[in-house]
Amino acid sequence: MITSLAKRLGITVVLLFILSGIIFFLQSISPGDPVKAYLGANASRADVLSERHRLGLDQPTIVQFGGFLVGLVHGDLGVSYRTHRPVFKDFATYLPATIELVVFAFLLAILLAVTFAFSAALRVPGSSFYRGILLVGATAPPFLLAIGGIVLFYQQLGVLPASGRGPDDRGPTGFLVIDTLVNGDIPGFGSTLQHLLLPGLVLAIAPAISIGRILRSSLESTLSADYVRTARSKGLGRGRVLIKHVLRNSIGPAISMSGLQLGFMFAGVVVVEQVFSWPGIGNYLASSIPVSDFPAIAGVTLVLGTIYIITNAVVDLLQAAADPRLVA
Amino acid sequence: MHHMTPQHRMRAVIATAALIPMLALAACSNGAAAKTGNPAPTNGVLTVGLLGDIGQPPDPDIYYANNGTAIIINTYEGLVQYKNNVNDVQIAPRLATSWTVSPDKTVYNFTLRKGVTFHDGTPFTSAAVKVAFDRRIAVKGGAAYMVEGVKSVDTPDDLTAVVTLDAPNSAFLDELASPFGPKMESPTGLTKYAGSDNAQTYLMTHDLGTGPYMLTTAQTGTKYELTQYDKYWGTISPFKTIKLPVYSDSSVLELAYDKGDVSMIAAALPSSALKKYSTTSYSTSYFLPTLQSALITVNPSKSFFATVDARMAFLSAIDKKTLVKQVLGARSEVATTMYAKGMIAGGADAQSIRYDPSIMKSYAKKASDKNLVIGYATGNTNAQQIANILAAQLIADGINATAETFTTSTVFGWANDPTTGPDAFIDGNNGPDGGSPYLWGHVFWDKTGGINYFLCDNPKTDDLLNKALATGDKSTYVKAAAAYESMGCYMQLSYNKDWVVAQNWLTNVAGAQNLGANELDFSLLGIKK
Repeated sequence: MITSLAKRLGITVVLLFILSGIIFFLQSISPGDPVKAYLGANASRADVLSERHRLGLDQPTIVQFGGFLVGLVHGDLGVSYRTHRPVFKDFATYLPATIELVVFAFLLAILLAVTFAFSAALRVPGSSFYRGILLVGATAPPFLLAIGGIVLFYQQLGVLPASGRGPDDRGPTGFLVIDTLVNGDIPGFGSTLQHLLLPGLVLAIAPAISIGRILRSSLESTLSADYVRTARSKGLGRGRVLIKHVLRNSIGPAISMSGLQLGFMFAGVVVVEQVFSWPGIGNYLASSIPVSDFPAIAGVTLVLGTIYIITNAVVDLLQAAADPRLVA
Repeated sequence: MHHMTPQHRMRAVIATAALIPMLALAACSNGAAAKTGNPAPTNGVLTVGLLGDIGQPPDPDIYYANNGTAIIINTYEGLVQYKNNVNDVQIAPRLATSWTVSPDKTVYNFTLRKGVTFHDGTPFTSAAVKVAFDRRIAVKGGAAYMVEGVKSVDTPDDLTAVVTLDAPNSAFLDELASPFGPKMESPTGLTKYAGSDNAQTYLMTHDLGTGPYMLTTAQTGTKYELTQYDKYWGTISPFKTIKLPVYSDSSVLELAYDKGDVSMIAAALPSSALKKYSTTSYSTSYFLPTLQSALITVNPSKSFFATVDARMAFLSAIDKKTLVKQVLGARSEVATTMYAKGMIAGGADAQSIRYDPSIMKSYAKKASDKNLVIGYATGNTNAQQIANILAAQLIADGINATAETFTTSTVFGWANDPTTGPDAFIDGNNGPDGGSPYLWGHVFWDKTGGINYFLCDNPKTDDLLNKALATGDKSTYVKAAAAYESMGCYMQLSYNKDWVVAQNWLTNVAGAQNLGANELDFSLLGIKK
């Protein structure tokens, strides 16, 4: 296990090095000029050239890349050309918001997927209508789904908010769900959940279907297995059979798919955060790209890459836990 | 022959069914828009929606972008300002009540307003003027040039500041009046919070101004909040708090306004929403004067436009009247001058290029290179439409014209190598730092200025602009404009107004319009009784 983890860590470092190299190379051949974003659109040519020199952007690409790596090793991703703040400080502001949204959406996706799969596999009466709604939602593009949700739940029904995270964050973690409870702010907790619901649902629906289908297929296959029939014929309760025998043996593929979908969710937040004005790194990235804010773009890419790698590692561990036959 | 399986049929039905609720919602949303809005607030809170974050810290010596001027002009004040809501440029008092200018335009003597305090309680005196200028130079933001020519600031008494320049500058008052101009900052606060960066870190989330409001919340990407300064020397508005939530999507901002969660939107809505808000019962549309324009610039480094004749032929093919009517609508009027509207009294700087499509038609027949790209900035829907219409017209003339989008940073990068840019660029809305013709000509026509995308330059124009700067002579500015027009690199398409939509109970919106900032002085707004 420890050897395996160490191997994974090594691979992670190599992958992140390659990723940062790719970003740097792409940035170096990009025709954009980020210095104007730093100074302002009307800044004179002389000021732009002077600032470019101060920022080291007139150095050869390899020198800039070396400086970037040295900074990275010291935990310094540089200063955002747009916000003028250290990128790490921006992450402290934006990353918790995205993690909170994605985790919430992921849990929602699991809930929807499990109900989707079990209702189908067990032929629960009336469940086809529920599955139909989910499929309709998954068919629509996220942008359309988001706007549609805002029009219905915000504008027409007035039951959910259209933008933002809700209450002010008074710390300590940056995760409002936790912070509001820690601070005893129950109305704030409720408001936070309200603000999470719509963007979380938009983010969750498509992954829920993907996970649900895999799980359903596994469940149906497992339910027809001989050992399940044997367990039922021995007098074991339906619930116990489902949890102890069926689910455990069906869950492997679903865990894999869940890991994959979690990675996609982090990529998918860009659109969702933009529509809902969610102050996360998706929105941060969307604002950084048009102005070639390289430190911010590199930082977000590295963070998302790291999250994706870690997620896959966790998935492998969970799979091993679910099925000891697998070597983690 | 392929037969649909039951599963495929079900998916087709579901996909079709997915459209129905979306269409229903779209229909419902249009109908519902006319019936909402919000009643006048009784808690003294005004909510103004921001489209997109302000982009840079709200530090007056750094901020050099767009919608964040709403915060700057309401928390800070300069010595002078532009008179609100007039169609021409007029300098008006702010922290200086009067001033004199020496005949050679090098000495500016300001009498300062009595009884003004900074938000931290420090009294405003003439000493703050030098501190503000010095800080601006030390921070070296994009607008630092405005005070780089200051040789000295003398303060014979607490209410007199004498600014001496090292060279004549007839645009100095315009630079001081600019929303990006130097603002007075508390010397006490600047010292206390200096840190290692001239208080830049502190001013990311606080302010040290004298304005009617204090910056009390600054959550980048989320919201900003201004709280009324109860010791403000000027008009005290009924609005104790100004909330500025950030919206990333204009459709959602519109919905929030229609629902009444936002009370006002300034300069953020697309022209496509003009018709809707001309008929909503709870809302009023205002079209307010600005220094902003839509412009077309031509790239002389591209083979198609290598000659002046080619560039002139292209500009002659532009039907400004039709484009403004079709695309920009009520928020714009056809530009007839080289400088912004009202910069040269009497319009002596008239544009001489007339619409004559036959010139481009006959040029196109002779042209060996018939490929042409018209660029516009990503997200600028008006510029996109103009580019598409122009491209279509040119195709009819036998030119292989296409419209192409470019990100902001790519647009800024063309100055490093104009050959990487398109053949022409539509700038949907841009403007100078202030109301002086020098600030216009320098930034758009001088290759050392900030918005001469393709570095099309006429040394004669630069020389005339510098001469005019020293003297303020309008006829010299007119000659500079004519010299630049002869290059065929530039045409002003329209004068753009600031389109503001506000709930009906909000009063004095027009009177609060800050020329140059495209934002409002919130302290001048009121509530209808």
